[in-house]
Amino acid sequence: MRNISFDSIFEFARLCVHISRRNWTVYKKDLIANISPTVADPALVMISLGLGLGAFITNVEGKTYMEFLAPGLTVATALFTSFFESSYGFYVRMTFENVFKAMLTTPIGVSEVVAGELVWVGLKGAFMAIGVAIVLAVCGLMTNPWLIPLIGTVGFLVALPCGAMGLISTALVNNMNQFQSVYSFVIAPLYFLSGIFFPIDQMNQYVRIVAEFFPLIHGVRLAQAIFWERAIVDTYVASGSVLVIQSFIFCTLSFFLIRKKLVT
Amino acid sequence: MVEAKNLVKIFGKGASVFRALDDVNFQVRVGECFGLLGPNGAGKSTFIGMTYGSVKKTSGQVTVFGLDPQSESRSIKKRLGVVTQENALDESLTVLENMMLYSAFMGVPRDQRRRRIEDLLEYMNIAHKRDALIQTLSGGMKRRLVFVRALLGQPELLILDEPTTGLDPAVRHLLWGKVKELRSSGTTIILTTHYMHEAEVLCDRLAILNKGKIVAEGSPQKMISDHSPGYVGIFKSEDGAKVRSLVKETTTHVHEDSSGVYLRVPTLEKMTSLVADHSLNPAQIRPSNLEDVFLQLTGQELSVDA
Repeated sequence: MRNISFDSIFEFARLCVHISRRNWTVYKKDLIANISPTVADPALVMISLGLGLGAFITNVEGKTYMEFLAPGLTVATALFTSFFESSYGFYVRMTFENVFKAMLTTPIGVSEVVAGELVWVGLKGAFMAIGVAIVLAVCGLMTNPWLIPLIGTVGFLVALPCGAMGLISTALVNNMNQFQSVYSFVIAPLYFLSGIFFPIDQMNQYVRIVAEFFPLIHGVRLAQAIFWERAIVDTYVASGSVLVIQSFIFCTLSFFLIRKKLVT
Repeated sequence: MVEAKNLVKIFGKGASVFRALDDVNFQVRVGECFGLLGPNGAGKSTFIGMTYGSVKKTSGQVTVFGLDPQSESRSIKKRLGVVTQENALDESLTVLENMMLYSAFMGVPRDQRRRRIEDLLEYMNIAHKRDALIQTLSGGMKRRLVFVRALLGQPELLILDEPTTGLDPAVRHLLWGKVKELRSSGTTIILTTHYMHEAEVLCDRLAILNKGKIVAEGSPQKMISDHSPGYVGIFKSEDGAKVRSLVKETTTHVHEDSSGVYLRVPTLEKMTSLVADHSLNPAQIRPSNLEDVFLQLTGQELSVDA
């Protein structure tokens, strides 16, 4: 094992930052294309469900349907932006572009590759969630817009474990096509069954219990607390700590699985 | 500088076991250019991956700078430059952006990065492409850029994993010249290739790997004199029977494949007298080279696997 010293931790952090910066440099080259799903998807949901369906739903937990949908959409954004980056994106970089083959000949090791990737998707999730929250706040769907920075922490805490789930699937699929199964059987169910579209309490009990093991439902609770200024601190303690624990578990698992792929 | 002792690497389990390296022993000395030759799948890249910790050994020992690549890869990699088999450049970035990124990875001090990159781009004759996107570069330019990338950290040991595969002769000769310069300035070099001529031009010593085992080791000259001394006459396949009959009456060696019949005899005089006595019509007579050694040691397996 490598000796843990201040120097080695500093070196680790330095290399992670460079990997995140590499991803940002590539990402910003095609900013419009990269950013459009994150902007367009929540807007579509707001128009079709919020305005359209919302006309028939007058009262959800004492709110209009638009108000009810808003917090969950910031969390969904963090889910999609992180999962796609670390599944399709990472897979392409690993398999077709051989980016890591060259990186691993430099002082970068697998731990830096994985940590750098997760820091990157975490930050991306945070900024995307904030972006969506700003738009929603402008539409008057947030009671206190000064709390928008808190949405950044929710975005980060959701994107981190969801990004790790992307890395885990990258390590497990045999080809890129199989991500479709992961999307259909894991990501889409999380999106639809984590309390974004209807109150968590009214969900089927068994479905809810399964959902508790994944990050999204906890992120939604946290975002709703912030958007509606309702027991914010208590929710951070309860849901926030679950997200931290889930992040730790998923990230660790993703490291060991990706290492198997990169070191033969 | 690099040492392998009883090194074994086995891929897979059960029925699909593949011994990529099978009890391999050799040393690379400081300041030399060491060639690792062999047909595709002989184990060359497996060994290269082991030197910086991307491939784990199954048993035996490998050390680089006296360090174990599995536990101290970061210290090793700071002193190492690798021209990877695949270019693995970021296609959507420019030449300069790519190199800035890698000089940061290598830990080049911020204020020296730009200077060092410019110098190396100049050195590899691609400075005029500094702002071009990678995807617009030709294969030869990308390869030269991979050399720049490998040299950013001013490595003590430079590993070239099939550096000239698929390149045109002009680029190949340019790269050979650079490798020779680096070697004479004191850089230790490990080169893998399946071009025998490349190995003969560049390497001080070399080892031939076949099916995970080292089948010969030494300087190119020593290998030729040990395994395949003399002169080689190349004949058309029609003369095959006639040439083969000569083997019995002299100390000769015959190799036959789809490209013709290769007859090797110890001296040029012997060759000319054989040709005259039996009224043969050789397409070419030349001194024996590494290719003859290679074909002799790896036999027909080369043409099947390659």
